[in-house]
Amino acid sequence: MSVAVVTAKPTPEFRAGGTDFSERRRSGVSQGMLIDISATGDKTITWDADGAAQIGALTTIATIATDARIAAAYPGIAASAHGLATPQVRQVATLGGNLAQRSRCWYFRRADIDCLKKSGSTCPARSGNHLYGVAFDLGDCVAPHPSTMAAALLAYDATITTDRRSGLTIAGLLGDGSVSHADHTLAAGEMIKSIALPAPLEGERASYKRAISRTYAEWPLVELCARVVIAGGKFQLVRLAAGGVAPVPLRLTAAEVALSGKIANAASIAEAAKAATSGAQPLPMTAYKLDLLQGLMRDVLERLSDELVAHATKPL
Amino acid sequence: MTTTTINGRPLVLPDDPDALLIDVIRDGGLTGTKLVCGSGVCGACTVLLDGTPVVSCLLPAQAAADKSLTTIEGVGAAGLHPVQKAFMAHDALQCGFCTPGFVVEAAAFHDSWRATKGAATPSREEIAAALSGHLCRCGAYEGIYRAVAEACSGRFDGNDPIAPRLEARDKVTGLARYTVDIHHDGQLEGVILRAHVAHARITGLDLAPARAIAGVTAVVPLLDDDNMVRFVGAPIAAVAAKDRRTALKAIAAISFKPEPLPAVIGLDAARRDDAPVVFEKKDRKRAGNVSEGAGGAPVSWKGNVRGPSAPFSQKARQAKSWLDEARQQGNPLLVEETFRVSTQQHASLEPHAAVARFDGDQLTVHISTQAIHESMEKIAKRYGLPHDKVRVIADHVGGGFGSKGSLGLETIAAIELARAAKAPVRVAFDREEELSVTGYRPAAELKLSLLPSTEGRLKALSLTAHADTGAAVNSLIAGLARLIYPAEAKELVDFDVLSNLPPGAPFRGPGGPPMSFALEQAVDEAALRMKVDPIHLRRLWDPDPNRQRLYDWAAGLDVWKNRKPAASQTGRYRRGVGVATGYWLYLWQTGSSIELATKGGRIVASCAVQDIGTGTRSVIANTVAKAFDLEPQDVEVRIGRSNLPPGPGSGGSRVTASVVPPTLLAIDKLKAEIKRTASRTPAPGSNAPWREMIAASPDIAVSARRQEDGKPPPGVRPALHEAGIMGRVFGWVLRLMNHMVVGAGVPSSVQVMEVEVDTWLGHVRVLNAYTGLAVGKLAAPTLARSQAAGAVIQGIGYALYESRETDPLSGHVLSGSMEDYRIPGIGDMPKLEVHFDEAGFEHVPGGSVGIGEVATVPTSPAIANAIRDAIGVRLTEIPFRPDRLVAALKGRDAA
Repeated sequence: MSVAVVTAKPTPEFRAGGTDFSERRRSGVSQGMLIDISATGDKTITWDADGAAQIGALTTIATIATDARIAAAYPGIAASAHGLATPQVRQVATLGGNLAQRSRCWYFRRADIDCLKKSGSTCPARSGNHLYGVAFDLGDCVAPHPSTMAAALLAYDATITTDRRSGLTIAGLLGDGSVSHADHTLAAGEMIKSIALPAPLEGERASYKRAISRTYAEWPLVELCARVVIAGGKFQLVRLAAGGVAPVPLRLTAAEVALSGKIANAASIAEAAKAATSGAQPLPMTAYKLDLLQGLMRDVLERLSDELVAHATKPL
Repeated sequence: MTTTTINGRPLVLPDDPDALLIDVIRDGGLTGTKLVCGSGVCGACTVLLDGTPVVSCLLPAQAAADKSLTTIEGVGAAGLHPVQKAFMAHDALQCGFCTPGFVVEAAAFHDSWRATKGAATPSREEIAAALSGHLCRCGAYEGIYRAVAEACSGRFDGNDPIAPRLEARDKVTGLARYTVDIHHDGQLEGVILRAHVAHARITGLDLAPARAIAGVTAVVPLLDDDNMVRFVGAPIAAVAAKDRRTALKAIAAISFKPEPLPAVIGLDAARRDDAPVVFEKKDRKRAGNVSEGAGGAPVSWKGNVRGPSAPFSQKARQAKSWLDEARQQGNPLLVEETFRVSTQQHASLEPHAAVARFDGDQLTVHISTQAIHESMEKIAKRYGLPHDKVRVIADHVGGGFGSKGSLGLETIAAIELARAAKAPVRVAFDREEELSVTGYRPAAELKLSLLPSTEGRLKALSLTAHADTGAAVNSLIAGLARLIYPAEAKELVDFDVLSNLPPGAPFRGPGGPPMSFALEQAVDEAALRMKVDPIHLRRLWDPDPNRQRLYDWAAGLDVWKNRKPAASQTGRYRRGVGVATGYWLYLWQTGSSIELATKGGRIVASCAVQDIGTGTRSVIANTVAKAFDLEPQDVEVRIGRSNLPPGPGSGGSRVTASVVPPTLLAIDKLKAEIKRTASRTPAPGSNAPWREMIAASPDIAVSARRQEDGKPPPGVRPALHEAGIMGRVFGWVLRLMNHMVVGAGVPSSVQVMEVEVDTWLGHVRVLNAYTGLAVGKLAAPTLARSQAAGAVIQGIGYALYESRETDPLSGHVLSGSMEDYRIPGIGDMPKLEVHFDEAGFEHVPGGSVGIGEVATVPTSPAIANAIRDAIGVRLTEIPFRPDRLVAALKGRDAA
């Protein structure tokens, strides 16, 4: 629909797969210079001798979802990649683009509404309709960060190299959620080059799931990537990274602590799930996300512990 | 200079880095690839890039450089692909607008499946995952599952099949041309300037800056003569330019001063005493209409609330007093509940679109419309043109569902721009326009009280509906509860609540699904309290003969007989089974005419009717073919042109019942005429005497108009007769004002749904759906099944996912994209059993009545009742999204 246009600050923007970018250009929300990097960016996955991987920023989501070695070493990364968007979008969208994508907030995406991420001074969703907003209210903007891969990379302690900086954590790349005018901390003209993943731990497993209303192809209401090491029937390591609930992907540290050293069974998981919402401040319309977060935590961790129990009891 | 290869031919790509692949493809004349959502959600624009499916709506054109592209036109270029044949054979399509995208994706899936798995059959889950990036609004998913599975298993490697849908081949090959695909030489693109405030008086409108822009040919004002805008998106002006980008630039240059006025948004705010008034008394006639028929008696207004409108009440005061008494006595059988339904968008995949051109004083308009004949009449009247100077064309229409039944702004803008520009102009709404300003099924609040008598009969019913109609009037929800479940007294009151939101519009069974959502849950609740089987109670309370037979069918279903009580379930996943009933009026349109002719040895049937995906061509072809012992493909059906004999609009499920009877009359006439003019009779013992006689016949033509029905058997009467004298008055008004007759017999549906509720993630899945339908004899059985399946999946969308979301202060529609307005995908389609009971309409010539609306009426309450059965909690507000499920479950746990 054609109306008065309120645009994001017209800084030069890189285009990789274009799956987020093209829509914003078509609607007029994003303008300014376009620098296409699809032909020149790094599309390779390289492996160190210790089993650590480096993924070029232009690697497609479909490649990550289907690469056998990624699936073996980093199953949470592969499952997250497989779970996002649609098959056609995954073929084109890139890992770097997924991290640098802009908010999916329906106010931000309308060209006739101003907001903190454009030139505005208030968040219209906070006083308006924030059905899909955050439940951990960390900043002025109430839109959850849209990057599924960022949550997965957070669970794996990934670091990002740009053309100007290296060793950036996900928190370093995306901030702590208090900055509302941007979706990441990249400076104008700064480009993500590659993503480094530490070597997987001995015996670790991982899983990913998103809560949505339909069966497929929907932005997550809440999503969770979980990594665990279970030994002797107990949780030795738990890493929980949630998306859809905060302005940045969130480590659920209280729940991780609550599970540490506990017996890997449904009862201890259900008990620890209560800690998943520690620190949450839901908005009037988003309290449901906390129930979904707890449900997801139980779903994902029960599945992982069941698998391990099944694995451990399997006759040799 | 960069190039790509498209379907084997080289193509130079534009240098513009912002150029998107879809535009390059379509501008090059390959219009099989469709633009729908523009955001990578629906997959209609899917093409193969070096063999891999991608969405061309988001792909930069430059990304195709030095690569090989295959569009739908290239998929079957060397003979139909097995997937195309399977789609045709299984009727895996309706309007066909999503079909090219599905076919391209399914063909790629098929090819890689066959390469690795041979002729194994993929599972439903594998097919759903592969096609999860595609959406179909008609709901052809059932046929798509079958088609893809059987194509993969090698069943369609052989000859081309015979499709039950006449135009299926054009739709699976991308050759079917829709209004958005029309391109005349010198055609301009029109764009509409719309208000971005919800309520304002516009002054100082200056179109000159737009006219001054190079490439702009015409600018016309579209403001109403009161210069008011009453919702975000209200039209102000329109521009025609050489391309869309120039037109957008031009509308941005138009200057005006909006004098903002206080606005009020939505049902609750608009009812407050201090709410700003949307329509002052003098302006009330400017409000839109959310119903199919014209308004009835005058109705009072108070502020933004229009009503009460209660023509179908029956001893309302008695009902009230009985209900008061039961309330005071604490009668445990008294069911009282407030229900809420959400705003449902039609979300047709082809947007509202029109292409207008003048050739001298002859106006030709391609319109994506549900009513070509009526559109021609309205255009002629509006612009003072004789009927023969206006030609409306709609060969294929990419969905309508009620939103394309009246003369729309896209048509008015295209005509006025074409006149001003002296050149053809296309106006095609973008997705945000489509999902905000083209109408919707209004949200509503429904207050219901239902009282069984001590003898277990239905004693009193009260239903009061407040409909969230935006800038429109004429909602009828509560009144429809008069035509089912006779009671001793009923108080049925409808209110329109107007606010500064876009006007609602008719939508598939207007008022039916909301009424049914409330009433069918109340009946279910009464059955629970009376401790009787819900189907048995309906048998007792609902004497309609068609539904009595459907209740017998439903009660015999294993899923019904074996259902488990909610109390026995404690795990994460709970299953439940629910039943609900629906009805719709049997309508036909007076004056509907058909011409049958023999031309060059073939039969040609002609009617100014349109096919919005329902299968009008096939209904006519089947009827004619059967009478002459021909195959439907032997009959040439000409529709989609207003200069043919006048046909019905595609609304009120009236097409089949309007065109089949006159076709039967015309068949008799043509047979007589062929015999009379025959130079010789066929050889005795000929296998195909009519085929021979038609082949030898000189060119002759006969025509017939829709005749009255025969006398129905005792007890079979029009639904409106349930409403006594007011019902008859309503029927007369419909016939006189709208040329629609409410015939005898009530099209009916009984549905049984089995759901699974994930109590952790608030997710509801419909596992199995059973839909029983009494709509007479099936004129096109496969297509009727497709409609029944599509109606169920659309009802599932209404029950579980779909909700227009607005900003409560500014009135902006926020759910203006397909990712935020959530229609069901293929993974959401349950396994489906369709039962047709073909009796009940023998008094209708041909015995067939319409199916489209009745088939979607009971879906949402059947799901609600199934959820109640599963979790022991009754949810009263749709859609039943995860947020509402977890809240309801919490409430239960807290209680």
